[in-house]
Amino acid sequence: MQVTHLIKSGIASAFALGLFVSEPALAQSAQELIDDASDPSTILTYGMGYGQTRHSPLNAINTDNVSKLRPAWTYSLSDKRGQESFPLLYDGMMYVTTHNATVALDPVSGRQLWKTAVEYPAETPRVACCGIVNRGVAIYEGKVFRTTLDAHVVAMDAKTGEEIWRVKSIDFKAGYSMTVAPLLADGVLIVGISGGEYGIRGYIEGYDPDTGAKLWRTYTIPAPGEEGSETWKDGGDAWKRGGAPAWLTGSYDVELNTVYWGVGNAASWNAGLRPGDNLYTSSILALDPQTGSIKWHYQTSPNDPFDHDGTNELVHATIDGRDVIMQASRNGFFYVLDRATGELIAANKFVDKVNWADSIDLETGRPVDTDVVRGARAGEQVTYWPSAFGGKNWSPTAYNPDSQTVFINAINVGLNYKAVEPQYRPGVFYFGAEFSFDWPEGDRGELRAIDPMTGEVKWSSGVAIPRLGAVLSTAGDLVFTGASTGEFEAFNSATGEKLWEYNTGSGIVGQPVTWEKDGTQYVTVVSGGGAVYALFSGDERLAEVPAGGSVWTFALVE
Amino acid sequence: MIKKLALSLCFLALLFGAPVFAQDDLLKKEEQLFNQFCSHCHGKHMVNPGTSSFDLRKFPKDDKPRFYESVSKGRGDMPAWGDVLFPEELDLLWHYVKSRAGKEPTAFDSSDASDVTESNEPETVLSSLLITPGTLTACLAKNGGVMSSRRSKGGAGLDYQVALALANGMGLTLAVEWYESEQEEESSPVRESYAMLAYGVCDILPGFALYETSLSAFYKTRAALPRWDNRPDTLTREFQVDLQPLSVSDPYARMEMGVVFRTPEFVRPITRVADLEGLHVGVEQGTLAGVLTLRQGSATLTSEATTLNPGPDFLWKMEQGEFDAALVTVGAYDFHKKQNAISTLVLGDYRHSIGFNLSVAMLKSNRDLLDQIDPLINTMIADGTMAALADKSRLTYSEPRQPWVQTRLTMQDIMMRQ
Repeated sequence: MQVTHLIKSGIASAFALGLFVSEPALAQSAQELIDDASDPSTILTYGMGYGQTRHSPLNAINTDNVSKLRPAWTYSLSDKRGQESFPLLYDGMMYVTTHNATVALDPVSGRQLWKTAVEYPAETPRVACCGIVNRGVAIYEGKVFRTTLDAHVVAMDAKTGEEIWRVKSIDFKAGYSMTVAPLLADGVLIVGISGGEYGIRGYIEGYDPDTGAKLWRTYTIPAPGEEGSETWKDGGDAWKRGGAPAWLTGSYDVELNTVYWGVGNAASWNAGLRPGDNLYTSSILALDPQTGSIKWHYQTSPNDPFDHDGTNELVHATIDGRDVIMQASRNGFFYVLDRATGELIAANKFVDKVNWADSIDLETGRPVDTDVVRGARAGEQVTYWPSAFGGKNWSPTAYNPDSQTVFINAINVGLNYKAVEPQYRPGVFYFGAEFSFDWPEGDRGELRAIDPMTGEVKWSSGVAIPRLGAVLSTAGDLVFTGASTGEFEAFNSATGEKLWEYNTGSGIVGQPVTWEKDGTQYVTVVSGGGAVYALFSGDERLAEVPAGGSVWTFALVE
Repeated sequence: MIKKLALSLCFLALLFGAPVFAQDDLLKKEEQLFNQFCSHCHGKHMVNPGTSSFDLRKFPKDDKPRFYESVSKGRGDMPAWGDVLFPEELDLLWHYVKSRAGKEPTAFDSSDASDVTESNEPETVLSSLLITPGTLTACLAKNGGVMSSRRSKGGAGLDYQVALALANGMGLTLAVEWYESEQEEESSPVRESYAMLAYGVCDILPGFALYETSLSAFYKTRAALPRWDNRPDTLTREFQVDLQPLSVSDPYARMEMGVVFRTPEFVRPITRVADLEGLHVGVEQGTLAGVLTLRQGSATLTSEATTLNPGPDFLWKMEQGEFDAALVTVGAYDFHKKQNAISTLVLGDYRHSIGFNLSVAMLKSNRDLLDQIDPLINTMIADGTMAALADKSRLTYSEPRQPWVQTRLTMQDIMMRQ
């Protein structure tokens, strides 16, 4: 202990005295980022590859031996907020974030290499609707990048954690915040804003990773006169507070040089006050990473009254020879779009109960509305499924390209809903609706394996309390995910049989990753309960699941 | 400001304008506010797993100051909302929490409302002295008889009324920390007063008796704190506070001793204790009045006197006929009369010359508060307000008398002074 301390302080003072000359750029070149998914010794991009499939070719841990998986180490994050960080791994360092710190760990021992605190004004949590979280760093040319709850973008030295630049994106006080893990695409650092429940006007931004200079900002709601502004027909100022946050990391197609980014719900929820489709709320945007210009868009929930936030991850696949992006949307439909054109190829329900739309018209790309959504817009009391939690919430899916199967942590909950006149106040909830949950009998969640083209359910594994964490797929015929009650779990990806679980001591709402070092396969997940279900559901079964963040890394024991 | 005023007017209508807001509408309004400001951490209807945010269903219903303090200024991980919430909204949220999200209806009355008048901003100097800016926090004994006692809303007794009048006069809201003054040998009310002020439980402590030794002898020592309602669980019983010097206000009342007779038949004019000879006299053991009775009564009187334990039972024993007259504090008599609607006891006109003026104590470092407190007290005495407040508290009022501070009593005083 003391020795470590001495060594550390020795290093620190050596830096202070300028004894070390900073090394030349330490790689994480653009090419390495591109190759991320095929190199299991590193994790350089959010979602394990620019295509965010969360699928690993590693198979040393597989259905035969997963029962021997045991913790290799655990690391306390000293934080009781929800933990949703996606760990990155490069050159002997694992990077994990919380809302108030960035840490670098030795991936094999779990030993802390550096920890850099994030400070923000004490009032900032007022503008975080659904959990005081952070979703991870991006890495590029010797720097790691993160966002902060008070809407700053920060660059740090990847080796030391020393801050290199820090840029304020916007004043948080009007309801703006950032939880997103940045995307580094074509040499541009891209982030999106949170705040869909606060009457913001959303945007996505590009920064120069070297200097922090802002290169572009693309508003996700067009100003009057701009293309798409005709979809805001109220004739007033609804667009100024129309929401459309962009709080989850986009994906990137290198060949098309296109970034795909999901855009969230319209604000307020009272759709009757903002007639029109309300672009680009609840939409998928294809962007030019250099300029931020919109190449095409596809809207999943036009004039959405339900907080069917369309930010969900956009997963790349090649199906029947066609390059596609796929999204399991909060609105309960699983969408498959042509990656180059945005043309809708398939859209099927991935949860059993969806009552706001009968189907998605493949010709027009528009939902076939039911009386439920029409009534909601007209101000009637309705009960809609899936609820504002979504058919799944933020929790990212995994896609196994070998079996062409998508794994989804689905949620089966409805919402009793009535639109009301909203009151806008800067930095305060701007719902415009009263609501209460319509709980199902029995399981509220399930892990599902579906066929992306047909929505066919290959298997389904129910769970009493929905899972809010991500899914990881591996070539070992496994899927890993975590329960709100804290169990880290492995399932047979072909059958859905649960093969293994380990209690991590707090709820899991984070993102599992797998990687390899010296021939050993490891699985890492961040544990720490929180996220929107725990906050909003009032599910007292979670009362006995303590808060407290930690990083867990597992490996096989002989 | 206009918006605030408009809201205030609306709120006043809500309070006093009868059916403007039915109970259901009130709950609805409260719920909307809760959903807007609180639900994302504390859960819809205040139901949450309680693992990382406070479970509001367990918030103490009688701790309004803590609620207002926490919400306005933040607490732990909770951000401050004071700059966003209107005071009226805070009141509604408090009622929502107190009623357990409307599940346990409680009346919304004017005591739930903060002062909605557009009061002058308190001086910054003054604010910097107070534990909670804008609020005068007073320590009062919850079992202080006619001097102070706790009520479900607010309190009663002269000390409470004085604290309230001072807060109003200073343009502040009154908050009370109710403590229990225990009649235990090892505890001393004076030391407890010092301890509470030194620990920062309250800004002022009314009911502080001006006795010479009380003003000097304690501050270089330590003392334990009494129990008070908001005493943190983390404070052990053994915890001791380093005492600090106090300052005291001009006195506002005088605690005196008089003779109480069992029935009007026993009343006789007296000028000294010894004049009670011939009556069966009661002695309240261990009190100053008891000591004076024994020292100043004649040999016959003292040999026939009945000595009894101190406390509220003492005068009840007289009511039951165990003795016919006794020297007691006037406050004890007042309390007995208040507690016993049917009573034959009579307080005679005689007052013993030994008495204690009551003042408001505070830390010496806070003595700038006296610039406002002293004039208020003197005005209230001069214009009869103080006597009226005492009357309201059913206290037989005596104005303070010089010397303000009772010098240390000597054996000669106890033997001779009448």
